[in-house]
Amino acid sequence: MGNYKNPGKQMKFDELFRLLNFCKTIQTEGTDPFDLDVKKFLETLKRYHKTKKWKSLDDLLLDAEAIAELAKIIELQGKWIKDRSSSFYIDPVLLELKLKMLEPQQLATAFFNSWHPIIAMDRITPQRLKEGLAYWNALLPLGARNDEFPFPSAIESTFGIEDLIELNILSKTEFDYSIKAVLNDLEARGRIEYHDFIYGDAFETSIKKAYLTSYLVNEGKAELDINPLEEEVFISPSNTNVNAKADHTQGRSIPVSLSYEDWLRWKGKQKRN
Amino acid sequence: MEGETEEELRARTERKVKKAAQLLFFRQHRIPGVKGWELKKALGDDYMEVIGVLNSALDKLGMEVKRISEAGEGGEGEGEDKGKGDKRAERDRFMIVLKSPVIEKASGERIDNVAMLSATLAYIISKQGKATRKAVETFLSAKFPKQRIFFALDRYIKQGYVGEADKVLYIGWRTRAEVDRKALLDLILAS
Repeated sequence: MGNYKNPGKQMKFDELFRLLNFCKTIQTEGTDPFDLDVKKFLETLKRYHKTKKWKSLDDLLLDAEAIAELAKIIELQGKWIKDRSSSFYIDPVLLELKLKMLEPQQLATAFFNSWHPIIAMDRITPQRLKEGLAYWNALLPLGARNDEFPFPSAIESTFGIEDLIELNILSKTEFDYSIKAVLNDLEARGRIEYHDFIYGDAFETSIKKAYLTSYLVNEGKAELDINPLEEEVFISPSNTNVNAKADHTQGRSIPVSLSYEDWLRWKGKQKRN
Repeated sequence: MEGETEEELRARTERKVKKAAQLLFFRQHRIPGVKGWELKKALGDDYMEVIGVLNSALDKLGMEVKRISEAGEGGEGEGEDKGKGDKRAERDRFMIVLKSPVIEKASGERIDNVAMLSATLAYIISKQGKATRKAVETFLSAKFPKQRIFFALDRYIKQGYVGEADKVLYIGWRTRAEVDRKALLDLILAS
């Protein structure tokens, strides 16, 4: 607004600046927006247009600012009318005065007489208790949970399925086919102990199957059922495929350990049987 | 349903009303009540009719199902076409409230805390539904110690009676559900 520092020009814009400031005061202090005479404001603008023939960028910016501020005031006037015509309108000054005069007892009585309390009850259901127990069982001890939020620098990068597909190590079709095969196997065998399902003749194929199974669980196509007392984990095909995605969003991680020694023990047990 | 006898229809409605009552009475979320879409999912497309039947049963016990819009005012929009009305009902929250404030005491709150809440709500309503926290604190400090006001306002915010955004207080969801604001102002002015 460097141009307006020119004394001759400033004289002409004084009234406009005063009106602009007044608009801003109304907006910030919440005073009555009808204190501004909109018609007079527009007439002033018109007068400037006629006498000054605004041409420079600063002139046009000032003109736009004036119109924008005026629009805001008109919007406030509309809101003001709407509020005053609503059944809630009571002169704030009158109400403030009244509130200051009333005793706490009277205020409380007024509240109770206009109060329709919500009726709601809390009840722990057996299902919720079961969920709580499952949560407790899956929860790591506090000390072990420090690793849950590692520093950014400590994050180890791993290859996800997308990375493998991108590197042409695995194709999407091949991966989908493998997943489908594991799902078919699970559906054929029904509810089964997790290790019995995962472990096979070779340790390598067992690990691959565990990896693919984790996708089935993750996508809600299979469910894990943990028996904490017997330390057993069962896997079964999911019955609720429709809500699988929704349930998955509230899911949790279940670590199941697999090792070569464990696989050897399982193989020995199978031979004995 | 086609081919359904009157008895079967009655049994089905009773089952739905029972389910609606359980959904509405027992808390499913942090905020009491359930959303329209949840009722629709549990009761079917005719959930508004089921709520109507439940309402008439609750009426005998002095309770009613109240519908609160998340955005502001509650209730069905007048002159709204059916499709729009249905969509709006799905977004609204339904909860059971006491129909008439007949019981003498329904809260363990201290009388001065209720008085402070009453004054806070009336003050905010009179200021077109929102007022700065500082203005409310200054107003309340005429009668209550500042330290108590600070904790009381925080509690009202936590309870849902008052909302706060950028140090501006506004009417919370719980006030919209529980308090007849017009009656509150009338009672205060008439005291």
